[in-house]
Amino acid sequence: MGAIIYYLLTLAIFFAIYSIYAWGLNIHFGLTGILDFTYITFVAIGAYFAGVAAMGHAQPMGMGGEYILGWNLPFPVSPVLGGIAAAILAALVGFVGLRRLRSDYLAITTVAVGQIVWLVVGNQTSLFNGWDGISGVPQPFNSSLFHLSYNQYQIPFLVICLIVAFIAWRVAESLTESPYGRILRAIREDEAVAAALGKDIFRYRMSAFIIGAIFAGVGGALTVEYIGAFNPSGWGVLETFIVWAAMLVGGQGNNRGMILGAFLVPVLFTEATRFITIPGHPLLMESIRGMAIGLLMVLVVRYRPQGVIPERKRVYRLNLISQETEDSAHGHAVEG
Amino acid sequence: MSLSMVWLGVGFGLITASVLALSSVGLTLQFGVTNFVNFAYGEFLTIGAYLAFVLNMGLHLNIWVSMFAAGILTAVVAWLFNIIVIEPFTRRKAPMIILLVVTIGMDLFLMNGVQALFGPEFKQYNDPSGSILHVGGLLFTVQQLWIIGIAAAAMVAVHTLLKYSKLGKAMRAMSDSSELALISGIPTRRITQYVWLLSGFLGGLSGVVLAINVNNFTPALGSEFLFVIFAAVIMGGIGRPYGAMLGALIIGVAMEVSAMFFDSSYKTVVAFAILVLMLLFRPQGILPSRGRV
Amino acid sequence: MATPSKDNILTVNELKKSFGGVHAVDGVSFEVPRGSITGLIGPNGAGKSTVVNSLSGFHPVDSGQVTLDGTNVTNWPSHKIAQQGLIRTFQIARELQRLTVFENLLLAPQVQPGATALEAIFSRRKIAAWESKTLGRAVALLKRFNLFEMRDEYAGNLSGGQKKLLDLARALMAAPRLVLLDEPMAGVNPTLAGDLQAHIRDLNREQGITFLLIEHNLGIVEALCNRVIVMAEGRILAEGSMSALRENKDVVNAYLGG
Repeated sequence: MGAIIYYLLTLAIFFAIYSIYAWGLNIHFGLTGILDFTYITFVAIGAYFAGVAAMGHAQPMGMGGEYILGWNLPFPVSPVLGGIAAAILAALVGFVGLRRLRSDYLAITTVAVGQIVWLVVGNQTSLFNGWDGISGVPQPFNSSLFHLSYNQYQIPFLVICLIVAFIAWRVAESLTESPYGRILRAIREDEAVAAALGKDIFRYRMSAFIIGAIFAGVGGALTVEYIGAFNPSGWGVLETFIVWAAMLVGGQGNNRGMILGAFLVPVLFTEATRFITIPGHPLLMESIRGMAIGLLMVLVVRYRPQGVIPERKRVYRLNLISQETEDSAHGHAVEG
Repeated sequence: MSLSMVWLGVGFGLITASVLALSSVGLTLQFGVTNFVNFAYGEFLTIGAYLAFVLNMGLHLNIWVSMFAAGILTAVVAWLFNIIVIEPFTRRKAPMIILLVVTIGMDLFLMNGVQALFGPEFKQYNDPSGSILHVGGLLFTVQQLWIIGIAAAAMVAVHTLLKYSKLGKAMRAMSDSSELALISGIPTRRITQYVWLLSGFLGGLSGVVLAINVNNFTPALGSEFLFVIFAAVIMGGIGRPYGAMLGALIIGVAMEVSAMFFDSSYKTVVAFAILVLMLLFRPQGILPSRGRV
Repeated sequence: MATPSKDNILTVNELKKSFGGVHAVDGVSFEVPRGSITGLIGPNGAGKSTVVNSLSGFHPVDSGQVTLDGTNVTNWPSHKIAQQGLIRTFQIARELQRLTVFENLLLAPQVQPGATALEAIFSRRKIAAWESKTLGRAVALLKRFNLFEMRDEYAGNLSGGQKKLLDLARALMAAPRLVLLDEPMAGVNPTLAGDLQAHIRDLNREQGITFLLIEHNLGIVEALCNRVIVMAEGRILAEGSMSALRENKDVVNAYLGG
């Protein structure tokens, strides 16, 4: 397989995974208005748990280092476990930060949780092998089914990613275009009004926070099963805001916009700048990239807050209104 | 547990509390007047620390002179930050949630900007004052006594400002209700600008003393300290400067005393635990609720 | 002392609420008879808004009791009070800007298939059937309030008066037992105020909906309300028909003497 094709397949895999991330963050912020400033922590927890669940038992003094679990779980089970782990972390964070009707308290909580989890994962070597991280995560189905070389494995893994991404898309769309999604958007617009109409704000925000985190955890699981390794340098602060920038650029509240954002920011921008080298210290390009992402976020909310593809307007077809009979099956929103 | 270790921890705690008091008062004053959390505040600390580094190492100024000058320069940075970045949003009454996104975006921008300019490696000031003094059974270096003295002086100055100056009274009025303040003829835009100057000055100062206290620092200095500042601010009741001073004292001492008994890399976990407990049980802060400030 | 009875949909007993030492509401008792339009008036600072916010669960009370249709709902969270059938509107219309007029209405019903995440994913047919049925009700309400032409417009793009109408229509869509109207005429032009007044009267007569009306415009209160409660300085000053209250010296003093 040629190097270019190999590279393009890698990009396609990351494109699919970043779309899943963006849909999840969109459920947090775009739909519900929850400020999650540590989205990547949910990705990381999903990745770590999926990784150590898929790996074999840690060998004392072995090459793979120390880690928990080591259950040898097969593919569809390990990412599910990653999603569950991220959901549990979200429930804990939400319990602390979502009970008050103040969006800044949750934002503060996420910033603090992000740093603490990073610190603990790095220092507590017994969890996920500390700063060195886990490595040797098996590729899904490869040893049991495909027996492919690392290069050849690209195509089957891309198919796996596309299947997972398709399911994630369907779930995200169902949530967005349902009474549930409508209630989340109402909470985003004015939580007092939603409460005055009998909606339990805490329950809705909590469930949206957990669901968004599951998207992160599953995406993280795909990442770790693709790369095969994961350590704290892979989920720095910048990673969270790459997803934020993707969401804001694509168009908050719009799942199609998330696909575009995932293409424009993490795939196109980050990859295009990877090949630029400028003289200076080793982190210079990385720093400039961070500046650009930060500036991009500010400029988008300043000059085009709705993003490239704005949230779509739901228009209802009146001919589908039933005369108190339940005959019509497709009275839901159509695109306007 | 030995009592002397607790006592030693209290000594270190007073220094951390001093650093924390400067920074959390700077953050909480700005919140009180503008009513949104500045997630880029950690970068005011970082910018202050690196400005002092340039003055101290590049221009060979005395560290304390450098500190004061860096505080003033950071005040100007904060003032510009408000005018260039924040005001376009507040002018059109952007919702708070958008302002928070803007400040966190700027946090990323400024942190990486400092890193682009100075590189990721550790930096250190040139400061000869190393002799050790005994004060009431505690051991301090001359540097550390300076830090405590500077923080104490700054707190007295903030108190005097709030209590006796026209600016301080206007700030308190805006903190209670910015609409009422506007109606009663207070020039709210100008007061807001003064508050950003003050917030930047205190942030810059605290960045320098933080850098002195931890000995060597990187561009992550401020952003890593930010949630410790949040812990102190929320403990004292967000927007309340005297509360922030108290919160800083409690959290500073708690962190350093715990570091005497546990792995010191975990001392921020103590601040985190306090933050979580406050959010769960007393999000309005430990002081009895009355009018803010 | 007000005691809960079958004829009263709402009974408020010795309600107290203070902010930082100021007694905003200082021992207020009254009741709202089922099927009535009851007025609550009083000069600025009388504590009316505090009563509204306390009844609808937007801030906890210090003491006292609120009974809604036989259920003690004191200090319940706002969404539970709404689920119990008390729906409030807001003094400054708070439309959900980036939801269309239709969506604002579809939000209101308490029981909706697809209101939980799992149902949203797995019961799409049920949702579609429910929405097409509910849209019929929404259309009827929008036609009544002259908002039908605006049905697919974002609520944020409505005029101030239309927002007020939408606020009321949305409250009715929730099938309330009691509607708490917080100054519905504030900032509304006289023509529209007349329309709103007619709507409230018709809804009360035709559908038996109970209203508690907080209002500054005494002419409208007189036209609509059989019984009016007057508050001043956190207390109930008087109660009765508007014409009787106009003769009441205390009431006149409270309004004119400030």
